[in-house]
Amino acid sequence: MRRVLFVMALVAFAAHAQDIKFPASFDKLAAKAEEVVDVTVDPAMLQIAGKFLAAQEEKEPKAAKAKDVVSGLKGIYVKSLKFAKEGEYSRADVDEIRSQLSGPGWARLVTVRDKTDDVGVYLKKEGEKVVGMAVVAAEPKELTVVNIVGPIDLEHLVALGGQFGVPNLPNLPAGQKPPAQTEKK
Amino acid sequence: MSRFEDDLRTALRRKEPPPGFAERALARAAVERETLLERLLGLFRFPAVRWVCAAALLLMLLLGVRYQQARRARQEGEEARAKVLYALQVTGSKLQLVQQKLRQLEAERETQDSAEEDPATSGRKIL
Repeated sequence: MRRVLFVMALVAFAAHAQDIKFPASFDKLAAKAEEVVDVTVDPAMLQIAGKFLAAQEEKEPKAAKAKDVVSGLKGIYVKSLKFAKEGEYSRADVDEIRSQLSGPGWARLVTVRDKTDDVGVYLKKEGEKVVGMAVVAAEPKELTVVNIVGPIDLEHLVALGGQFGVPNLPNLPAGQKPPAQTEKK
Repeated sequence: MSRFEDDLRTALRRKEPPPGFAERALARAAVERETLLERLLGLFRFPAVRWVCAAALLLMLLLGVRYQQARRARQEGEEARAKVLYALQVTGSKLQLVQQKLRQLEAERETQDSAEEDPATSGRKIL
């Protein structure tokens, strides 16, 4: 009985730690996917990773920048499904995630929608402070959801520009400006 | 043949060992081995030696456990680091996609704007 309660508490904690709740349909989609990427970095793991990145700070300058980004974070959750052909997931699957990002606290930084892709970057704010970030990328054969929980220093993220595939984002700190939405049909 | 060679031959001539030589040699070696073992074991009669040995064993055990713990921690750290970097990489690639799309749209808008401003083009458009 105690064990069951402990597991329930852990599940509740995990659900709380993550800003976005992945719908059950994701598991069904995962079964159809050709490639599934599921990365869960919890606070404990982030702490260990931070220490290791700090240890490599002198040898690898990019490790130092990554350490700056992850310090203070509470979790990083990535789910990416790659399909063999197009049309394996529906708009409703994406909307289920997006509806959570239109809730209180969340602000849309940018969304780009064209004939093929539908990509959005969302920020969770507490006052003026950014305390979370989500990226939802719906591509023809790929569906990716990234959820970064915790205070994100956008300047540090921008400093990662050109590394780990992070682009040079001169406009990201200006994300404090009203969010942009771009749509192309 | 010189006398020296005769002497040498005499000196190097094969001589049979006296009877029972091999048995005696083996028996003596066994006695010496026993004595060495006994001597080593005898050291344990001294309490100080016993304590030193116990401490050395304990130290070796602790060092072994510590080494294993450090190895496991290093492994976990490397895994965590790789996970974080991978997550950042996925995030980065998606942010890059957004930026790429924004640039595309910006370029298309600029082309449209310049086409509207250009009278020749706009004329063509009307036609």
